[in-house]
Amino acid sequence: MEIQDMPQASTAASSIFKDEKFGNDGAEVVAPESEADIADILRKANKDGKKVAIISGGTKRGYGGLKNDYDILLSLSQYKGVVEHTAGDMTVTVRPGTTIKELQDFLREFDQMASIDPAWPEQATIGGVIAANESGPKRMKYGSARDLVIGLRVVYPDGTVIRTGGKVVKNVAGYDMNKLFIGSMGTLGVITEITMKLRPLPKCESLVKLFVSKEQLQDLKTFVVKIQDSMIEPATLEMVNPALSKKLFNRDTYTLLAAFEDVENSVRYQEQWIKDNKPEGMAMDVSSETEATAFWNAFSKIAPNSLTDYESNRTRAVVKIGSKNMNVFEWLAEAETLQKANLLTIEMHGGLGHGITNAICTGVESEVKQAIVRLRYRAEDKKGYAIVKHLPYTLRHEIDVWGHKPAYFFLFEGIKKKNDPNNTLNHQRFVGGI
Amino acid sequence: MFRSRKKKQTRKDVHVAQLEAIVGPTEILYEKEDLLSYDCDGFTVHKAMPKAVVFPKNTEEVAAIVRYCSVHDLPFLARGAGTGLSGGAIPLNGEVIISLGKMRNLLSVDYENRQAVVQPGFVNLKLTNSISSKGYYYAPDPSSQYVCTIGGNVAENAGGAHCLKYGVTTNHILGLEVVLPNGEVIEISDGGIPDSPGYDLMGLLTGSEGTLGIVTKITVRILKNPQGKQTVLAYFDNVEDGSRAVSGIISAGIVPAALEMMDKTAIEGVEAGAYPVGHPKDIDALLLIEVDGIKAGIDEQIEEILAVCKSRNVREVKVAESEEERGKWWANRKTGFGAMGAISPDYLVQDGVIPRSKLPEVLKRISEISKESGLRIANIFHAGDGNLHPLILFDSRVPGETEKALEAGTACLKACADVGGSITGEHGVGIEKKEEMRFIFTDEELEAQTRIREVFNPDDLLNKGKLFPTPSRCMDVKKVVKDTVAAK
Repeated sequence: MEIQDMPQASTAASSIFKDEKFGNDGAEVVAPESEADIADILRKANKDGKKVAIISGGTKRGYGGLKNDYDILLSLSQYKGVVEHTAGDMTVTVRPGTTIKELQDFLREFDQMASIDPAWPEQATIGGVIAANESGPKRMKYGSARDLVIGLRVVYPDGTVIRTGGKVVKNVAGYDMNKLFIGSMGTLGVITEITMKLRPLPKCESLVKLFVSKEQLQDLKTFVVKIQDSMIEPATLEMVNPALSKKLFNRDTYTLLAAFEDVENSVRYQEQWIKDNKPEGMAMDVSSETEATAFWNAFSKIAPNSLTDYESNRTRAVVKIGSKNMNVFEWLAEAETLQKANLLTIEMHGGLGHGITNAICTGVESEVKQAIVRLRYRAEDKKGYAIVKHLPYTLRHEIDVWGHKPAYFFLFEGIKKKNDPNNTLNHQRFVGGI
Repeated sequence: MFRSRKKKQTRKDVHVAQLEAIVGPTEILYEKEDLLSYDCDGFTVHKAMPKAVVFPKNTEEVAAIVRYCSVHDLPFLARGAGTGLSGGAIPLNGEVIISLGKMRNLLSVDYENRQAVVQPGFVNLKLTNSISSKGYYYAPDPSSQYVCTIGGNVAENAGGAHCLKYGVTTNHILGLEVVLPNGEVIEISDGGIPDSPGYDLMGLLTGSEGTLGIVTKITVRILKNPQGKQTVLAYFDNVEDGSRAVSGIISAGIVPAALEMMDKTAIEGVEAGAYPVGHPKDIDALLLIEVDGIKAGIDEQIEEILAVCKSRNVREVKVAESEEERGKWWANRKTGFGAMGAISPDYLVQDGVIPRSKLPEVLKRISEISKESGLRIANIFHAGDGNLHPLILFDSRVPGETEKALEAGTACLKACADVGGSITGEHGVGIEKKEEMRFIFTDEELEAQTRIREVFNPDDLLNKGKLFPTPSRCMDVKKVVKDTVAAK
């Protein structure tokens, strides 16, 4: 396992409020410890016409937002912990400031997990992950936040507390209001409790890596189609470009990451299937269980976030591209075209089973900007999108991080107006300046 | 022939004539005798007559009909196969029914990207049948899947026996084309691409019971058939042992594809129905458990399930020896509701959901409700995800018994709500459970939902009077106050 130059997150929580690089700051910082306090703060701010930004772990300050300062920065980092966990029901209710790692550590004691693998589990909190609809490579098997969340408690800007969904795993009573808040970037309400359905920890896991030269890419593509058409069930099929392979494995190749999570016999069978069916001459490596866990932990820290990105001489951006599964190969090719020695590096990985590609662009500002524009142009041309999940504040005024507004934008405006008529919450953080 | 047409035309009102101009004379019904079969859906307790039924052939016609209705203040609603069990397609306000039954094509299948595009009137099971030769299937499998449509499944966020492992409809919808209540056509996640930037309108529309828009094209996820599949049938001498076996299987870290349960009365019904299996008559409960996935991994899970059942005093437990045997067990289960007709003139099916761990407690309460009402209640349910289907057996010819059955149904839902559950897991609220929404939601929570409806459906012409209880006094007053403040 060769993980090189992995950035480490700052542990000094207070420092997140000091720099101005990412905006989304607040003149006054409040860190309530109860839902009632959260409701009071919102009610008052809403009445007084004050603008409130929401923060929790502080990893996503570079994700959208056209304001440097809000009147109030509402931190949920102190509102944390598991509220309820019934092992037999396989559900958990948790407060938003709980980090992903804290939640997973708690559940591991019961051989259970929240089946979501977003970046930076030590810093990112469940509230932020749900609000930003963050996901990781294993969503191919387990789905994303919208498939896991079964209930929420939400404080509306006027202080009203609303429950959505419930505590049962199947529920169609009324509108599926959970969906409204997942990925809404805190623009509709403050999430104060999240109830999720859980899965048993897989009894066995393994990671198969295929190292692929540029010349072998076409063979790999054929092989991926074969995998998809087979009956094996990978938890992920993530393609990694050479720049990222270099960082992760010290290899200048493309890499296919195929993870398997099931009972042991099934995992061994699927490893063998890959071995027996992979194109000739393709290097393969199988990680042991502990290596696989360590790898995914390191993988979760490859992208910059607003706690770690303090570089001043290079601009860093993370672009999330949504496309059809098999288009991932096109984004890999595009990254090669865009990269320029000493001016722009693109570390890219994309899921062949879920259609989400992440491009971590690092370089001189003009090149990074150009890369974003180009990736977006190509993605939108294929009915997809490219949004920028991490970008310094000043650049967010130059580039619309959300891309073009859809034809049905008026529905977004209508929803925002009904929930937050005074634009109290996270104003201008979301699509079209909502 | 010519004469009768002419006669019809003279009786047609102006709206019917205009709608006929949109869809053509063969694609509209407006005579009373033709409309009779549209006065209810699978929820037969309540009936009402539509103004007309139109059968558009494409999105443009749907949009034109909707625009016409919207401009002329005509209430309207969409209807698929009419199998809904909560009355969502009943024309309470003399609606124009827009039947999507003639928009029933499979538009495309993209195996590489694992998606298919269908029209709303396409029958659920037909999708699986159309792609099975390539080894693919569509996961949501409501019991009515041989006739219900995917458009209706989206409206109701339909479930099925296999959603324990694979999720319900909302987890399998990738894109929607929607005609909004003003006639505007929008495409959400065109191309079936995930995480479309913006609020998750697709998630909101799925399960909105036809009150936010009319879906005219659906992109769904298709899955590769599992490599292996094994089905277990377990007989228990008491329900409590059966319930504890359910918890035991889940706690063992197994995610079965399906985990179904039937109690004694239900077994009596299915054995008298069209697909008897020969279940012993004197058992108290049976479990039908299915595990699927990689063949190499299934045996050890089956062993574990057998061990759990044995440790919970199972009388007999067996693994299906052939696909025929498995098919027989499932046909017996999937036709369970209808089979109640063999032991009772009428039945009412409920659809509560509870946390799995509360199963013994709630089953006990349901048996008390049965005693209190004097009506037999059969239980057929998705035990794995806590979705109960109490079937209340009654005879509508006996005066007062229908009311008694409805009351018993409500009591069952109350029992579910009281343990932190929900009033519906897959059948929807419709008109049937409108008032029961108050068991689980406060006025503020209901208002938060109706505010969303106002964004999509501001004039409330689309499927009016469904899903939400009649506003309480308190809410009316609040709204008046709000409106007055807004006016100032």
